[in-house]
Parts: sequence; structure tokens; C-alpha cells
Amino acid sequence: MKYTLLAMAAWLAGITATLAQATFPVNGPTDPRHTVFAFTNARIHVDYKTIVDSATLLIRDGKVLEVGKEVSVPKDAVVMDLGGKSIYPSLIDMHSDYGMPEVKREHATHETGPQFLSNTKGAYHWNQAIRSEYDAYRNFSVDGKKAEELRKLGFGSVLSLNKDGIVRGTAAIVLIGNENENDLILKDRAAAEFSFDKGTSTQDYPSSLMGSIALIRQTFYDAQWYKNGGYRKEYNISLAAFNQLKDLPFIFDAGDKQNELRVSTIGEEFDVQFIVKGNGDEYERLTEIDNAGMRLILPLNFPEAYDLSDPYDAINISLHDLKHWELAPTNPAALEKAGIEFALTATGLKNKNDFWKNLRKAIDHGLTEQQALKALTAAPAAFLNVQDKIGALKRGMIANFIITSGNLFSKETVILDNWVKGVRYPIGNSEQKDIRGNYSLVTASGKPSRMKISGEALSPEMYMYEDTLQVKAMAFSRNGDLVTFSFERKLEDPKGVVRYSGVLEEQGWSGNAQLADGNWTNWTMTFDSLITLTEKKDTTAKPLKDIGKISYPNMAYGWKELPKAGTVLIINATVWTNEAEGILTEADVLFSNGKIVQVGKDLVAPAGATVIDGTGKHLTAGIIDEHSHIAVSNSVNEGTQTSSAEVRIGDVLDADDINIYRQLAGGVTSSHLLHGSANAIGGQTQLIKLRWGQSPEELKFDGWPGFIKFALGENVKQANWGDLQTVRFPQTRMGVEQVYMDYFTRAEEYQQQQSRWTTTDASLKTNAVPPRKDLELDALSEILNSKRFITCHSYVQSEINMLMHVADSFGFEVNTFTHILEGFKVADKMKAHNVRGASTFSDWWAYKYEVYDAIPYNAAILHKVGVNVGYNSDDAEMARRLNQEAAKAVKYGGISEEDAWKFVTLNPAKMLRVDDKVGSIKAGKDADLVLWNDHPMSIYAKPLTTYVDGIAYYDSERDAQLREDIRKERARLVQQMNEVKLKGEAVRKPAAKPQILKHCLEEEYHTIH
Amino acid sequence: MKRIIKYLIIAAGMITTSVTVAQNPAPAAKQSGSVLIMNVKAHIGNGKVIENAVIGFDAGKLILVADATTVKLKKDSYAVVIDGYGKHAYPGLIACNTNIGLAEIDMVRSTLDYNEVGEMNPNIRSIISYNTDSKIIPTVRSNGVLMAEVSPRGGMISGTSSVVQLDAWNWEDAAVAMDKNMHMNWPRMYIYQGGGPESEENQRQRMQRELSVLEQYFNEAEAYCKQQQPQEVNVRFEAMRGLFDGTTKLFVHAGYVKEIEAAVLFAKKHTLKMVLVGGSDAWRVASLLKENSVPVILGQTHALPPREDDDTDLPYKLPFLLHRAGVTCAISIDGSWQERNLPFMAGTAAAFGLDKEQALAMITAVPAQILGVSSSAGTLEVDKDATLILTSGDLLDMRSSVVEAAFIQGRTIDLDDAQKQLYRKYMNKYDLK
Repeated sequence: MKYTLLAMAAWLAGITATLAQATFPVNGPTDPRHTVFAFTNARIHVDYKTIVDSATLLIRDGKVLEVGKEVSVPKDAVVMDLGGKSIYPSLIDMHSDYGMPEVKREHATHETGPQFLSNTKGAYHWNQAIRSEYDAYRNFSVDGKKAEELRKLGFGSVLSLNKDGIVRGTAAIVLIGNENENDLILKDRAAAEFSFDKGTSTQDYPSSLMGSIALIRQTFYDAQWYKNGGYRKEYNISLAAFNQLKDLPFIFDAGDKQNELRVSTIGEEFDVQFIVKGNGDEYERLTEIDNAGMRLILPLNFPEAYDLSDPYDAINISLHDLKHWELAPTNPAALEKAGIEFALTATGLKNKNDFWKNLRKAIDHGLTEQQALKALTAAPAAFLNVQDKIGALKRGMIANFIITSGNLFSKETVILDNWVKGVRYPIGNSEQKDIRGNYSLVTASGKPSRMKISGEALSPEMYMYEDTLQVKAMAFSRNGDLVTFSFERKLEDPKGVVRYSGVLEEQGWSGNAQLADGNWTNWTMTFDSLITLTEKKDTTAKPLKDIGKISYPNMAYGWKELPKAGTVLIINATVWTNEAEGILTEADVLFSNGKIVQVGKDLVAPAGATVIDGTGKHLTAGIIDEHSHIAVSNSVNEGTQTSSAEVRIGDVLDADDINIYRQLAGGVTSSHLLHGSANAIGGQTQLIKLRWGQSPEELKFDGWPGFIKFALGENVKQANWGDLQTVRFPQTRMGVEQVYMDYFTRAEEYQQQQSRWTTTDASLKTNAVPPRKDLELDALSEILNSKRFITCHSYVQSEINMLMHVADSFGFEVNTFTHILEGFKVADKMKAHNVRGASTFSDWWAYKYEVYDAIPYNAAILHKVGVNVGYNSDDAEMARRLNQEAAKAVKYGGISEEDAWKFVTLNPAKMLRVDDKVGSIKAGKDADLVLWNDHPMSIYAKPLTTYVDGIAYYDSERDAQLREDIRKERARLVQQMNEVKLKGEAVRKPAAKPQILKHCLEEEYHTIH
Repeated sequence: MKRIIKYLIIAAGMITTSVTVAQNPAPAAKQSGSVLIMNVKAHIGNGKVIENAVIGFDAGKLILVADATTVKLKKDSYAVVIDGYGKHAYPGLIACNTNIGLAEIDMVRSTLDYNEVGEMNPNIRSIISYNTDSKIIPTVRSNGVLMAEVSPRGGMISGTSSVVQLDAWNWEDAAVAMDKNMHMNWPRMYIYQGGGPESEENQRQRMQRELSVLEQYFNEAEAYCKQQQPQEVNVRFEAMRGLFDGTTKLFVHAGYVKEIEAAVLFAKKHTLKMVLVGGSDAWRVASLLKENSVPVILGQTHALPPREDDDTDLPYKLPFLLHRAGVTCAISIDGSWQERNLPFMAGTAAAFGLDKEQALAMITAVPAQILGVSSSAGTLEVDKDATLILTSGDLLDMRSSVVEAAFIQGRTIDLDDAQKQLYRKYMNKYDLK
């Protein structure tokens, strides 16, 4: 038998009615069936790693009866001889919204006022994005069209969730059948779902990623409190439901690699192992992802190539995007190699048909077929604790499987059937014969013609040869074994279209044809030979021979390998010690393993040390920027409430911000990343070292006490936010004071409640309501206890004075006033209050009313009065020139150069309480150093090398090399993309990813101007 | 009527508060006697330096700029002789493309007068809004900026700018050249990827629409301007006559390379005298600019690179890249109070490839040339206005940049300002020196 044949058509009709619901009434006679189906002579993948050849699969009532070689087929079975075809457990997608109501997002406009509380009616959580009470299974309904789409891809079940909100409630495992829903819900409460995205919530809070993180953390704590007695105080459906999630797998729709690490941190805090849905860039931080021990769900939506035929379009695409396009298909293989467990999902594909194309691409890039199958069967089943039901074909499991023409992962293979819970869903026309081949067509009224049927097995194309002329059929269709086709005859009379109709039988084809002149004739067509199946032009990218290497970060100026600290001796330089020794000429500095070892003259280089000639050069401590908003993912403001003390910049560090590198090139070694100034009590800040290339966590400055951002004045009272923003308290400086009075009073009471509770006798606690852990008040309590320090955005004297009074009345000190442009008016009071730092601009003013009295002599006056003064940037650009800003203290107010230099080094270190570690050049301190080609405060000075922990994270010579590397790497990748376009593959129109510049309040697109 | 009363009350309130605010110094009187500066290092502004120079001026004009060793001095003929030993003389700096005098406090709408409503405003003239009493002006002067181009903003065609000197009683006194430079913003021709305020497709459509609107507008304006007696007067088109007869330059704000290319072709097609303003990508098409004699006023060069992959110092070396390619290039800062840092833009240019005197020219001689005031300003040359400064050190380096004296059209400028007054007030309060 030359034809491949699946002779199933005979028993196809009617079997779909077997699974009637027990409780449902029946219209007409009942139709009970318990047919046994036997699939014989099959290559059965009983699970992702076990293949049994020439095996038999027996199913009945939607379950697997038996599977294996030695299975005896019952007499009453319907037998299907698969003739060597393959059976696989059907695929599982564990991140689907199949069958769920559509999520409709209302686009927030600026024309609405603030919304402080949830719009959801009822006894729910105060925040609209906390929807723990949502159960997907209650809202599931079959969607025939989407079900068919999924089945065509080979899926038999999915985890369906409501992709809306931060706590999204439970997801359900459903089978992809067309039956009544009652038959298709495999597991109702199968998993608990989370995300950082508030979705359709119209509530203001949270407006930032760090706000989402804080909200999740607080919800975990609130749920614990609720369980431990909080329910006695209030009824809360959402918290009660949250506690019911406890034993389910927790799944987090995270987003990018950095978000995955953020999820892992949350998980550690609450002892939860999240299964994390990523976005396919894990390879860029593989070590950290691996160390986090997460299980992942990965999409296959590899980025499309750009159409870069115009070089001026190409310049707008970053090297990162070019690299990611090339490397994204290596991601699954990289994770497999690292031994990280993952499932794959079809979610996120713009075109679902790309699923197999991209999966093959991943396999071409090193993913093993076994792992691919596991990621679509056993892994998701195990993640969801249903490995005894789906994901494999073993006795008692659900009869969810697909029949394929061959190896599932081969391009030539087609999925013929998808069986869902024992119900057959044919894919396309799979019951039809494969009719491809060479034929002879004989008509009674003409010459015999040579014919060819080629193309895809399921959608073949027909050709006729008139002499050497190849003519494609104008139409060709079949319905079962009935066929029709037509050709235009060009050489033979009567010229014109001949239309054929007939039947397809074992012995050949036959029928009647009507000629162009209206006469009828009969015809037969006989099989001659198989066609040689020439490989169709393969358009999927094969692994590229010279595929690029990952760098850290995976973008321009990244490291091929992360650097390590060595031993360096810089000799004969002018050394600005910032210590009692002052500025040393012709001095040497030795540092090793990240610490300064020795400062002096004629130092001897230890063995293995790199010696750098500092002749004519200046060596200084690294610049410390007290007020920065670089390296933060998403917004720097959670400005939706008057206080957001619970949010932490440290949760949202962005290690891939190019501004880290750019600032190293300006001599900056540490940046204090502040929450914005949209509210009176902002978020917790983060001091980082500019360890370019390291992970977000590794950027954090060790041994630094926590700080928090406060803000006063116009931003806080929303003075410049437009006429609709006149509702949030406070709208005046008077109100700002009362915000502080209220919050600190509450924090004091909160502490008392907490300590009373810990000392309360256990027996009295049984029916009591415990105090709630409040992340916001925790932070404020830390301030009261001098464990957390304030840096306060401030401009005019009245409010500066006010905050010091508030602090006095609660017994703490305001650590830093940042901006503090009218500090000169209350310098004496600041001194008396023991303010640790005034961190200001050199010469900014007139950008809003509250800075109209700002003067460039501010720093000089404060310094002369005896306040510790620094200059900061609040601007990713100016941060690169803080050395020049220091010079302005000399220009405006005549500060000595030695003192002025401390404005950007030692003084900020003091206000940040890290002057025991950084800020000066002294043995034992961190080797955060800058070697300059000129006097460091001169406009002509440039850093030659910037060291952080003794590592040259920036070096001007290496930088020159990197620029060359970037050019070459870009050129190579642009070539690759152009080749893709030439091959005719889909490419997307180019568009620039905006660089977003962040300041205290505004975030702006960095335009090309 | 009620409305008006309300505004009057507000105005009255402002007057009372402003009494306590420091005042600007009075504009200087006309030069009454001739001045001679001796032993000074003169930076001419055109790239030349005279190490030991003598500079004389009378009746507001420079009458002598020479190497002291080559001239015979008649010291006694000067009313005032200044010993400039160890000091530097520079032409007064010229700030291009500013909104000095049009913007007092960036976030207070009532103080902003640079952005008129509408897309096509060729008839808008910035000069009449120029507020000579802005508190910002003396602070800018203190750092050597003595002239400025005051430019309107917004829309597609923003209107005409004027060049002012920064010591005047009113805008008529201040004006040096009026209404000769028309500013326009070229439509954005790059597309932002997803997530932005507009879908990519909408952005593409908007770009096409704007480009065709612009083309159509100029076609109609050009046709209109060919009529000496139009059927009906169109004040907008009337304001554009100068563009087509070559007496008004078109200052096109554009940054992205395609925008620059499109703008140059546009100017060529309509035979317009074009100046490019902004120009982040100008270096990529330097030869096109050079061939078409399009000068560039670079935007603030203390800026981040436009793209992630760019050389970290790309904006710093832009002046060098353009100069090397033979493009006429000035440096500017788009702002008001920020203009006091103009000398340091040139300093940075000198740190990144340029000779210091070449860098200086980009904030003196070249702006004068581009703005059409080079017959009276921009360099220290005889017969030009005596608009110059004396500094104790290198003007371009904040480490030594202290302006000790300034002259505008020969008048001795009081370099005091409200900020220095506040400084003294509080130094006094704390008994500091």
C-alpha cells in the first residue's frame, strides 16, 4: 500500500455524544456508550522520556485502560491500526486565558480625579487589584473557536486564569473539548495566580512596580493577621479567600528577568515557592535565576526581526534589542542546560501558528526534544500536581493524546487527531489519504497528461504537464473521496478551462470532465510513482554559526565576563585624600581586593600588582550622588497616596540602565536612588554602588542603614498637577505638617500596640484581635527609632523649619535635606538641629515658584555656617559632571578647592552614613577611586579609570575598544536581520524604544532633538 | 467685569509682595568717555588670541583692538584706563535660541509668554513679550552672556525671534535685530515603540499628515507671496514674505537624521535660508549640511546621548564633529536661567576635541553670524559694538570663570543681581565673610 491512510472515517460519526452529564435531563432516548478504543501498531510516547514502539493504547470512558506492547485488545473494541504513527500525551499550556471572560481595560484619562479606594462593591479588599476571591472555574465557558485553535496546536488541557489584577484568585485546569463545561473542568482550584499588573483596576494605587510589590507583601501580612484574629474585627472576603489559596501552587506572572528575581525575593519573605511566568530573557541573568531555584513558565514569542533596510532606521534599534533577537531562541536551551525546570506556553504569541515554528527554532538552538516535550506535558502536570491525570499516558489517566504522522517536532509531521478525554477531534482532513504522487491522466477525448500532486499532505497542490509546460490547477478540492479540479488547456483544442469531477478509489481516480466547448468526456487517473519529497525551503533560522555572546548586561558596553578585583598600585599621582593629609603630590595609592591598603610615597608594588603611572594625573575618591533616579525599573514615584512609606526603591533596581555606565564615565561610584517627590512621605531609598554588569541585588551598598524620601512643597501639594488634582490631602504647606503629625502619632501608637501584644499573656490572646503588621508604619517607626533616616526634598525656609520642629517633637533628627535651595535662609537652625546633610544644586533656580529665591551661593553659606554640604544631580546627565558642579562652589562663594571637592565625595558619604567606608582615600576604606587626566574640578578633566571596590568598571582605553566592538556587533546583527528579510520572513517595522529620563516628579521621553 | 476685578486684585497683591524682592540694577547710561583696557589677554572670538592686547572703545564702538607691542598708544586720550594684567577679555557671549525674558518661572503659567496657541504662527513676534525686567537677565549677564536670541516656541511654525542686548529699559532699547529669524519645529520622523501615548501606526500616519500639511502650507504661502496686491490680506502669509525673498532665515528645529535631511531638502526646494537648531544627529549628515551651507545651532551639549549605544560623550563632542566636517556650528542652551552655563558648553567642547578659541567662537562669532548681527557683535574687532567682558581666569572653565566687568555697547554694566543681594543679606545675617 503506497498511500498513508488513516481509515477512521467509518466510525467517526456520532461518537462525540458519549460523555453525557450524569445530572442532566436527556431529550429523547438516552445513548449510553462505553466503547473501548484500541490504537494498535503505534509508536507511543507514554511519557516525555519513554517511547514504546508497536504498542497499543486502550481507552474507555475518557480514560486510559492500558498502554504498552503486550496489551490484549478486547473483542468488543473499535480497533484502529495506526500503522506506525505516533501517539503523544497531548500538550498542556499552564498560562492560558482560554474560556475566560474577556478582560476589558478602561483607559484611565487625566480627566478623572483621583480614586483612593476600590470601586468593587461589597465586603472586599480596599484595593481593586486584590481579587483573591476570584475563581476561574466559576467563570469558565467553552469557546469552540479558540478550543479548535488550541487543539490544532496539540493542546489537550490548559490552566485557565483571569489575567487581571495583582492577586488574581484561582486558576482552573480545563480540558479543551467542545463538551458541556461540566465535563471539562479537570481541577477547579488548581493554582493561585499573581502579577505586578493591576489590570483593569481604576484605583490609583499602586501606580508603580514598587507599589505593586508593597501591596502584595502587605496582603500576605494582612491575610496572616486576618487568620490570626483579624476576622473578629472586620469581614473581608478577599483576605478570607487569600487564606484559602494556601495549599495551591502559587504562580506569578512576572515579566522580565529582573521581575522574576523580584518575585523570588517576595517568595523568600513568605516562604512561598512561586512558579514564575517569565518573558524569555532569563538567559541574560541565568546564574541569578538558577540560584533563586524557581520553576518557570516560558513563552515562545521570540522577537521578530526588524526591517532595517534603511540604516537610519537601524540606528534607532539598540544593540540590546538586536542581541535579544538573536539570542532569545537560545533561552530554553540555556535553561535546560542549567537544569532549571520549566514549562512552555503558547501565550504571548501574536500568531498562534508561530508556536511550532518557534519551538523548532528553540530546538534548532539546542533545546532537546525530550525537554521540549517535558515542558509541554510532564512539567506543567507536575507543577500543578496533576501528573497522575495528564501529561503522560498511563493506566487510569485521562485519555488526552494526539496522533501524529511522525516525530512531533519534525517539520514534516502533522498532527492528525487530538483526543480530549476520549473524544476524537480530527485536525483538518486527517482521515484523508495522502494522495501526493505522480499520476497519468487519460481523457477519452485527448492526449494522456502527466500529473503531479505535491505540497503539504493535508493541503496538496495539483499540477498538469502539457509537454514541458507545468500548469497549476485553477481549483482543486476534495470532500472525502469526492474530488473536483480544473485546468486551463493552452495547447490542446478545445482551448480553455476543463473541469473535472470524480471519485478517488484504491485502484485509481475516475470521473467526467466538461470541456471548454461544453462537451463532456470521461477520465481516469492512475498512480505512477511517489514524488520525491524535496525539503521545502526552510525559512526558520538555523543556529547561526557566529551567534553572538551574551554580555553583562546584555547590551552596549556590557562585559563579556564579569571583572574581578586585583591588586593595583597607582604611583606618582596628585592624591586628593579628603583626609587630614589633604592633597598629596607625587603620592602612591595601593589597593587590593577592593580595599585601599596604603597611601603614601614610594610604596612597593606587591607581587602580581598592576602598577599604573599616575604622573600628571589626579586620584580622588569616587563621586557620590546623594540624589539620583537612575537604575530604577518603572516609576520612581508611588505618588498616589500622601504616604507611601511601604514602597522600596531597593525592590525595583534596574541593573541594565545604561546610565550606570555613563555615570561611571563621569567618575560616579555610588548613587543614592530616591523615591520621587510626589508625596509627603515617599518611599524607602536605596544606596547603590555602580557595579556595572552585576545583578540588581549586587548593586546594593552593603552596611548602609536604610533611608526614606520625604518631600515638601509644591509637588506634595500637587501645585502644578492641573485643576483636577485638588482633592488629595494636603493641598497646602499647612496640611503637610499635619500629615507628618498624624503619621508619626500613628507610628508611635502602632509601636505601643505591637509591644503590648508581645507582652500580653497568651491566654488573653485567644479571642483578641492582634495588631496588624503595617509596612508603612514599620518604616515610620524605624524613623522614630533612628534606624531609618530621612532625606527630605525641600525648598522654602518655612517648610524646612517646620519639618525640624516635627522631628523635634517626636524626638528624632532630620538626617538630610535634599535640594534645600533656601537652606541659606535657615542655615543656623539646621545647624542647631544637627542636620547631617544639606544636599543641594549648585545653580538651579526659577523652574518653579518655590525656587525663585534660590541662589548659587546657597552651598557656600551653609558650609560657612557649619552644615555638611553636598551637591547632587537629580539628573542622569548632570550626574556625569558633578566634578564640575563642585567647582561652582569655588566660583560662587569662594569655597576652597579642597573643601569644594568634598561636596561631591566625602560630604555625601557623611550624610549617607557611609563615610567609614567611602568618601576619602584612606587605608581600609573601599577602593572607590577615580583617576583623572587633569585637575578633577576642571571642565577639561575626564576620568581615565573609575574603580568601584578596586574594579575598573570604567576605563577610557577599554571604552574605546568597546565602542569599536559595539559598532562591529551592531553591523553583524543588522546584516543578519537583513538576511532574514531577504529570505522573505516576516519583519516588523522599526521603532525606537524610548529612553525615559526620571526626575523627582517628571518622567520624560528622551527625544532626539 | 467681575473677572477683571479679580485679576486687578491679584496684580495688586503681587505688587505688595514684590516690594520685598530685590531689584535689578538700573540699565547703564550711554558711554560718556572713552575706555582703554591694557595688558589684557584678548580672545577675539574668531579663533584668534592676542596675548598682550590693548582694547579701546568710545561712543559704544571698539576703536582699538591690537597687540600692545605693535601699536603706539595714546593713553592720555582715553578717559578711563583699565589695567587688565592677568585678565582675559572676551566678546560678550551670545545665547541663541533662548526664552530669556519670555519665561520667568517655568511652572507658573502666568509668567510664560513663549508658546502661542496654534500650529502656524509665522506672524508671532517674540520681541514684544521680552521682559527687560526679568530677574533672570542680570544673573545670566554675571556669567558673560550679554546678548541673546529671544525665540518663540511651540506649534509647527512658532514665529520670529529677535536678538537683544541684555541691559535695557524696554524691548525697543534692547532690540539689536528684530524679526529676522523664523522658528519652526520639524515633524517628528521617528516612531516610538509600543506603550507610548500613540500606537506606532498612528504615529506613522501623523508624521505623514504633518509633513504634507507643512508642504502644502509653504506652497500656498509661496504662491501668496508672489502677489504684491493680494485679493485679501493674510497676516500669517504676509509675515512669511521675508522667507521667500531671502531676508528672513528659517530656523528649523530637528534632531533625528531623517528630519534633518527632509528639512534641508525642503529648504532647498523652497529656496529658503535654513539654520538647523538642535541637531543631535547633524554629525551624521555633516556633508549635506556643508554642501547646502546650512549652519547649525546645537542644543544643550550637556546632554545624554540620544541612544543607548551611542558613545557616552557623543553630545560633548558634537561641536568637534561638526567643526571637523566644515559645518558652521554654534552652541546653545534651550532655556532662560540655564543660559548662565553657556560658557561651559564651550568649555566641554574644548575638552572634547576643539581648540578653546574655536569653542569660544561657537558662543560668540558664529552665533552673531547666524543671527545676522555680525556687523556689530560677536568678535572684538574695531567698529563693532564694545560688548565685552573681563574675567580673572578661563571663562570656559567654571573653576576659574569669574566675570569681573562687562560692557554692552560701551556701557559699563552693573553686575549685581538679586541673587548676589540675597547672598550679601544672609552673609550679613550670619556675620560671615
